[in-house]
Amino acid sequence: MSEAAVHTEAATMQVRLKIWRFDSETGERALRDYEIDAPEWSCLLDVLDIIKDRVDGTLAYRKSCRMMICGSCGMRMDGAAVLACKERMKPIVDSGHVPVISAMGNLPILKDLVVDMEPFWSKMRAMKPWLQPGYEEPPARERLASQEQMNVIHKEALCINCGCCVSECNSMESDPDFLGPAALAKGMRFVGDARDGAEIERLEAYNSEHGIWDCTRCYFCTERCPKGVDPRDAIAKLGAESIKHGIDRDMGAKHAKWFVTSAKTTGWLRETELVPKTQGVVSAIKEVKFAMGLARRGKVPPPFPPHVAEGVGESRALYDLVSEQGRDGAAGIVQGERALARIEHTDEGGARRDAPEITPGETPPHAEG
Amino acid sequence: MDAKHDVLVIGAGCAGMRAAIAAHDAGADVAMVSKIHPVRSHSGAAEGGINAALGNASEDDPEKHAFDTVKGSDYLGDQDAIEILCNEAPGDVYELEHWGAVFSRTEDGRIAQRPFGAAGEPRTAYAADITGHVLIQVLYEQVLKRDLRVYEEYFAWKLVVDDDRCQGVIAWDLLHGGLKTIGAKTVILATGGAGRLYTGTTNAYACTGDGMAMALRVGVALEDMEMMQFHPTTLSPTGVLITEGCRGEGAHLLNSEGDRFLTRYAPNAMELASRDVISRAEQTEIDEGRGVDGSVLLDLRHLGAEKIIERLHGTRELSLTFALVDPIHEPIPVRPGAHYHMGGVDTDVDGLTSLTGLYAAGECACVSVHGANRLGGNALMETITFGKRAGRHAAEWALSNTAVLVPPSVEADSERELRALLGRAEGERPWTIRDELARTMHENFGVFRREEQMQEQGRIVERLGERYQRVFVEDKGSVFNSDLTQALELGFMLELADCMVVSGLARKESRGAHARPYDYPDRDDESYMRHTLTTLDADGRAQLDWKPVTATKWQPMERTY
Repeated sequence: MSEAAVHTEAATMQVRLKIWRFDSETGERALRDYEIDAPEWSCLLDVLDIIKDRVDGTLAYRKSCRMMICGSCGMRMDGAAVLACKERMKPIVDSGHVPVISAMGNLPILKDLVVDMEPFWSKMRAMKPWLQPGYEEPPARERLASQEQMNVIHKEALCINCGCCVSECNSMESDPDFLGPAALAKGMRFVGDARDGAEIERLEAYNSEHGIWDCTRCYFCTERCPKGVDPRDAIAKLGAESIKHGIDRDMGAKHAKWFVTSAKTTGWLRETELVPKTQGVVSAIKEVKFAMGLARRGKVPPPFPPHVAEGVGESRALYDLVSEQGRDGAAGIVQGERALARIEHTDEGGARRDAPEITPGETPPHAEG
Repeated sequence: MDAKHDVLVIGAGCAGMRAAIAAHDAGADVAMVSKIHPVRSHSGAAEGGINAALGNASEDDPEKHAFDTVKGSDYLGDQDAIEILCNEAPGDVYELEHWGAVFSRTEDGRIAQRPFGAAGEPRTAYAADITGHVLIQVLYEQVLKRDLRVYEEYFAWKLVVDDDRCQGVIAWDLLHGGLKTIGAKTVILATGGAGRLYTGTTNAYACTGDGMAMALRVGVALEDMEMMQFHPTTLSPTGVLITEGCRGEGAHLLNSEGDRFLTRYAPNAMELASRDVISRAEQTEIDEGRGVDGSVLLDLRHLGAEKIIERLHGTRELSLTFALVDPIHEPIPVRPGAHYHMGGVDTDVDGLTSLTGLYAAGECACVSVHGANRLGGNALMETITFGKRAGRHAAEWALSNTAVLVPPSVEADSERELRALLGRAEGERPWTIRDELARTMHENFGVFRREEQMQEQGRIVERLGERYQRVFVEDKGSVFNSDLTQALELGFMLELADCMVVSGLARKESRGAHARPYDYPDRDDESYMRHTLTTLDADGRAQLDWKPVTATKWQPMERTY
């Protein structure tokens, strides 16, 4: 029974939405309007169920648990990936907005809101996503690990493989072979696991072409993740772990390292040296013509003498402080439990990412309504 | 025949994947068929934990675990099976940990364990409140490591039986359309429960009892089908599961007067009494006018924000999203909802059914370790222990037997039946039948049961079955035709409802989840310490039989908490 039909006694609302339909057998694509009555507590998935039951049985979408854990119902609402079971419709109806529902991005559409997930899973498989413990015989009981050690991968372990991050990934849009946020978060789940013995091999593999350094840091994956996995964080941790272990042959790694060196020595980003430091001298020479053009328009500061910031001492002190703390590698990036508490829960103004921590005794913003 | 394997597992949740891994490790060529991707399986929604006498939080041993389980089952569980479960549980949990399961940890780095309902010791190993999710992930990782074949989004529809043994399955390929025949020397059903028979349920849309119905249709008996567990804390209004872990961590249940009403129902165990006991207490409070909009209140506030965020993060997320309630500041409205089927395909302790080559494991099976009432945390454990045993046994049998035969007539008959359904140009849409079935099951076959209501439900199910003969599938296409598969699921559920009602009427006592306070308020060990069995007669209606309970060392006692 559809959830929506269960509570017929509940107050209803009139929901309008548009759905991008796609028929792979005919190749026909059309934006259709729908208007139905639904209980006020309905989520997007409940609305789709009512449409499929009562209006058009050919509408196709995936669903199963309707409680944000199976990861089936990823789709786009107004161009941004959501889990249909998590999106409450009432605020949208109240605002008078008519949302447009479409299939997730970066994955081939099979029918209506159903995409081909195979590219998603093939990248997941490429991560060799299973524990490689590095011992022949396991211990008789469980392997000891502290809660602190397990917390390192807590966020990555929350991933439900829904594909919302992949749908929104800018890098994947230009490079379909980019491993992408979901697979790389899965990679961090193993690199960060104290019980895994294949860290170096993993980092080597994830540092290859289409790997971690191809991420453009747009943060759309983290923004759209419905579970608070923060894939961009995971990618940052993989980068930091790579550099810590000297796996820095990729231009992306060299680029990041130069940022550090530059900030430490001058307190500035020395952009002119960034290109040769990242790409190597030979390659950089090919860019000279381009650089000259930039320089003529005042976009490149002269490299000599290096301009040293007035407050460089502060920058150096920060560098020394972080070095002393030993917070190199992923430890420098982990946000841990405090970040978890800031996960965005509802559109009605539940605890948001940018909200301060809720402390006991305080009323959260949504409880007032 | 489109493909052939030694062992074919239908369903890829915890039981299915564990069975496939065991069959592979025993040397068999194994494949899985699943109507949804393995990680989408409803095992992943299990929250609270998995029971094993690891002794990490107290002095514990498998015998204590077994006694709690026997008592919890209201003495309907088979004690030989329960002893196997409890003895093998610790090793099976360590194995999951060795594979990388991200369990929560104790101060000394061991797997953390929390108290759960009707358990004498804190025995429930957990991963925050996403234990099922963590296990589904680790099992899928092991499936990928072994490169096991998964027929993803294949809807298993019919078992192939020839020469008195099960030889494969006929399935509808959801992504591309068309029936596919996959032959196998042994088939393991691991399709989960049938909570969708009820309006208020914790179960996913996928939980439509497919495997139970497929077995029933080839003459295999279903056991204890009247035993549907109502979980005491499902979120109002949607029925989403709020974990027993909340009560394990110390949450209180309150009525509209702010009373901890369990003082009157289970004064010793209070919120940690058995699920059937608490569901009945809640329903009584609601029926007698001490509910809050048809619910009672689960109060976590005194646990404090830190504990809620650390250990019950998922619960808070569900509550915020679906009820707009932050448990740090307000109690959560909850009520009993259909949660778990103790009944299922009748199997032995290796998962084998009465049909050669056919096995079952997990919720779709009835071994029976849960009897009339399952303890929280025992379902995940059962999927692992009995999934593994079924997989190993099926592989051994398959490796010592060779030929697989699917007569062409079987494929042709199925094709004809399907085309007739798709060819129907008009009729009744499935949802009207489905909604009426679920609503009436809830009303007439719920927490409390009356003779006349059960009889009425029998008539309703029969009438719905007649209407189903004219069911109309609107989508005629081949790509992702979920309109078709939902109609086929409804056919499965109607037959299961019939079995449940017939079993319920026959059990003239109150035991575990089967509560008849109005005519048979007491347990009757003399007459009914035995399992119901249902099969289909020549007219396709459920017929009843009985089977004795296996007792090893525990004699029935009065059950109080």
